[in-house]
Amino acid sequence: MQPKPNHDESVRQDFVTDLRAYLTDEIYTLITPHYEKKIEPEFLQSHDRKPKDKSEVKSLMLNDKGYQSWSLLQRLSQQMMFTSVIDTVERNLEAMIDNLDKHQEIGSLEIDDSLEIPRYLTAYDIHQQPGGYHSETIEKDISAGAVYDISLPIYSRNAMGEENDLLAQAIIHYIDKNIGTFQPKDILDMGCGIGNSTLPFSKKYPNSKVVGADVALPCLRYAHARANALGVEADFSQQNVEKTNYDSESFDLVTSTLLLHETSHDAVPKIIQECFRLLKPGGWMIHLDVYPFHKKEDDPLYDFLKDWEVINNNENFSGALRKMNMKKIIEDAGFATETVEFTSAEAAAKYSKGYTGDFYLKLPVYVAQKSIAS
Amino acid sequence: MNDKTKLPRVAKGKKLNYLNDGSIDNLMAMIMTLTQEISVLRDRIDTLERILESKKIILDEEFNEFIPSDDLETKRKNRRHALLERVLLPIKKELE
Repeated sequence: MQPKPNHDESVRQDFVTDLRAYLTDEIYTLITPHYEKKIEPEFLQSHDRKPKDKSEVKSLMLNDKGYQSWSLLQRLSQQMMFTSVIDTVERNLEAMIDNLDKHQEIGSLEIDDSLEIPRYLTAYDIHQQPGGYHSETIEKDISAGAVYDISLPIYSRNAMGEENDLLAQAIIHYIDKNIGTFQPKDILDMGCGIGNSTLPFSKKYPNSKVVGADVALPCLRYAHARANALGVEADFSQQNVEKTNYDSESFDLVTSTLLLHETSHDAVPKIIQECFRLLKPGGWMIHLDVYPFHKKEDDPLYDFLKDWEVINNNENFSGALRKMNMKKIIEDAGFATETVEFTSAEAAAKYSKGYTGDFYLKLPVYVAQKSIAS
Repeated sequence: MNDKTKLPRVAKGKKLNYLNDGSIDNLMAMIMTLTQEISVLRDRIDTLERILESKKIILDEEFNEFIPSDDLETKRKNRRHALLERVLLPIKKELE
């Protein structure tokens, strides 16, 4: 299903992987020492104190040529990733769309023509993917899904696994470790995109019925065809997960991966309330997202640096999400306090294709169980 | 070629300015893209040499059928790293 890059496209994409690795390993690592050795001492000398918060650090860093050069290069590398991938998708697009009919046998695709795409996805293109997840250039367009699928390995230094399923594996690992007896029959993956975090649940629980819901049709079309090409069954449905059309108490497990930080202040409580409504008594909600909960104390440089994606990579809501009182939002939705947990989901991962090294992926999850009695 | 679908290549969002003025940012983007194209050319020549070595005649498709071994992937990765090291040296110096 995945369009195949030709020789030059392939090595052009390899260059972006290497550029991103270089920027992370060789340039980004210089920033903290540069700050500690040069920027902070200069400030200390003229102010008789250290910078007190991230906004003071920000004004220093935005005037520092070294930091600004890294920041610009990091932003450019994301743009270069997408342009080098779009070449491949564009060249193969018509053929892929012509082939869609061959990949419809298992699972289903439900389309809602009247669905309105939320403003948080249309106002700007999240993480700079041109056209975002939802835009369509051609009839039966799947380009946004294909672009996302090929970009993930470049973004992750080929660490997401053959089927880009590392994040779902982290959730599955969490379930096995903490709620091992849990055997969900009906599973919903919210904001499923291309289904890379949906299909692992079909594989893990072969007797279950797995549904992926998302607003973005080009991703869903790609997801359904991709699932067929991989021979894994799942149903895909075009829905806004703030308010779906499923009956109450339809699911044993509701998950999401990297969804919440791409929504909005208004959407997050609605999504959590919808999870509560959709879960059967005893069912579990697990949302995996990117940002750490544990704020380092008194480290304004760290505070500043972790906002990089917010400002520079169109992840506009991710900073605000960190400040939201998720515990209260989850409890207000109806989940019992004692079931609410913020913890980490983990998965063993390794780089591949010219890159070596193992690492342990550790990402935060918001977990809660709907009480049997509720 | 002209009636083929063209996908968008620019993301919607705030325009940011990094180094003094936008034209320097554009120069950096152009330099990095040229570096990328040098890397593409070098890898293409590399593939060419290897196919030539084994056959003496080359067909265009052979470029796309050629799958580099893990060893070659590593060699190419290291070469690209060295290219980046040379191109990005001024930035590194700024931070060191």
